[in-house]
Amino acid sequence: MLRVEKLCKEFRNGRGRSAKTVKAVNNLSFQCRSGEIYGLLGPNGAGKTTTLRCLSTLIKPSSGNAWIDKYNVLEHGQMFRSKIGFLTSDMKLDGYFTPDYMMNWFGQLNKMQESQIEQQKKRLFSDLQMTDFIHKKIDELSTGMKQKTAVAISLIHDPEVIIFDEPTNGLDIVTSKAVTDFLVSRAESGKTVIISTHNMTIAEKLCHRFGILVDGELKEEGSLSDIIQGSSWDCLEDVFFSYILPGGDHV
Amino acid sequence: MFKDSIIILRKELRRMFTDRRLVFMLVVLPLVMLPLMYSFMGKANRTRQGEITSYTSRVAVCSDSRGGEISELFFQSLELLNVHVETAGLDQLDSLKQRVVDKNLELLIVMPDDTGDLITDNTVLDLSVFYNSTGDYSKFAFDQVVATFAVVSESIVSQRLREIGMSEDILTAYTINQYLAADETADLAEEGSVMGKLIGIMMPFFIVIYLFANSMKVGLDSVAGEKERGTLAMLLVNQVSRLSIVLGKMLSVMVAAIVGAVSSAIGLRIASRYLIDMSSDSGVNISEYTMGSSAIIQFAIVVIPLAILISSLVLLVSTFARNVKEGQGMIMPIYIAVMVMGVTTMQTGDVPPEWMRMAPVFNSLVVLKDIFMQNAVWGNILFSMATSLLAAAVLIFITLRMFNDERVLFRI
Repeated sequence: MLRVEKLCKEFRNGRGRSAKTVKAVNNLSFQCRSGEIYGLLGPNGAGKTTTLRCLSTLIKPSSGNAWIDKYNVLEHGQMFRSKIGFLTSDMKLDGYFTPDYMMNWFGQLNKMQESQIEQQKKRLFSDLQMTDFIHKKIDELSTGMKQKTAVAISLIHDPEVIIFDEPTNGLDIVTSKAVTDFLVSRAESGKTVIISTHNMTIAEKLCHRFGILVDGELKEEGSLSDIIQGSSWDCLEDVFFSYILPGGDHV
Repeated sequence: MFKDSIIILRKELRRMFTDRRLVFMLVVLPLVMLPLMYSFMGKANRTRQGEITSYTSRVAVCSDSRGGEISELFFQSLELLNVHVETAGLDQLDSLKQRVVDKNLELLIVMPDDTGDLITDNTVLDLSVFYNSTGDYSKFAFDQVVATFAVVSESIVSQRLREIGMSEDILTAYTINQYLAADETADLAEEGSVMGKLIGIMMPFFIVIYLFANSMKVGLDSVAGEKERGTLAMLLVNQVSRLSIVLGKMLSVMVAAIVGAVSSAIGLRIASRYLIDMSSDSGVNISEYTMGSSAIIQFAIVVIPLAILISSLVLLVSTFARNVKEGQGMIMPIYIAVMVMGVTTMQTGDVPPEWMRMAPVFNSLVVLKDIFMQNAVWGNILFSMATSLLAAAVLIFITLRMFNDERVLFRI
């Protein structure tokens, strides 16, 4: 289970006296249980990617913390990373190598035994339908193949928590389905999955619970029925737009 | 921690040594560039020298009369040279000078009217010899004619002395090395040390240049390139410490640097043959120079820490830069500074200034020079090693701080 508590992230824009502090994430708290897919929704600049980058330990929260079991991002960076599989759309792989080589390499960096790596490779290559291109250079692969490779590599160490930022961004419908089906199967096997997305259709189909993030703050949280119940909206998209469109009920 | 660095190093090395283009840049180019350059320069030089010596220079002698018997001596001496002599009157002096300027004439000799009388009168004759220093043929003709006329001058002086009953030996107070035995040489330098000095002057310069050039080729891409391509974040979210990443990358840059330095050293050793050919009168023989095993160990003790220092410096710049292009812009002034250090060390005499022995990079270059000249002192070798490693440790520490600073690492 992942627990986020009062997470804040501030950035300083500019230099000297003209520098301004921008709160990208403000007092964010949520929990994501095992076997659950949690969707972090929000417009561009809402703080979704910043939140996920804090959870990946790529950047440090200004305050607050996040836990997986007894490990937290501030004090146990390396152990925390061993529990997560993280991927964003701006993370790329070295195109000179093959998916097979990169899987082995990342497996070694994650302190895995050779037999564990082989076992995990076999499973991921099969689940993501990658066997046809694992010995081709990544540079020679299509966008979808590269994304599948990145997904497989981020999960080589079989992490408890999967954190994907826009996992279907830029993918065709077939690859997109392969990735989302894969995430569902991971959740069904007891993993905790957190994704951020703009795509409400995918979110509704995929996620068990949602958090709507606007200007760094969590505006709504719960399952689809929780959010819609007692409101005048009948789908997630309407709720989302009510927070971001001019004239929306919550704007 | 070190195990992770080795895993990173292995991947970087695989990348380096399986990419043909990179292998060519890192290994082949430093190896062949100097021999190719010097062999081409040597060949071009020999061809040019051959052309100059076989060329028949056009020489004009400007005088209103041929000045009698003694003046004839000058004309006879000119006939011994590969020159075509034309005579002209003093009224054509200006037009002849213009021909020298225009390179239609290599040399213009102006003789006084009364040359014969001046010589027999024991007075000093002043000949004017005009040439054009921008023309190779003109300069060569000038040198030849001046040397030939010096012989003529000696014979006139001898003749004058004989006429007054004196021996020409009176003009010579002493000679130098004229009566050395056939198996004796005046230069008592140890065998190989002359070549060692030649190599010692040039080798440290080329070694530091290639250490830096190869570090740049690999090091800038190592972090700045990964930032630019978005591959660094993929590495950072795994169970590897940032110190391991810095050390792994530094080691890979160091290997590239050392490979370049060793290739360029072998290249320079081969190129020395052509370099010596270019100055054929130097009397130096490349086969006389050998490096013993202790010198090779000393070389490694100095070059490896120097490579670590330079790799750390390049890695620091690479970490700070947003992308490879920015890194190249930042590293260029440092590269020029290192080149200046190399040139400065080339020009120091046998006893370099004390500050040079204290400063990192400088002291390594000075010690390398000593090693090639086979007079290195272990104290200096170890001191240069210590200063290089200390400076590298400081740079690695700063790089590590940058790796932990998201403002530096993600300011894309």
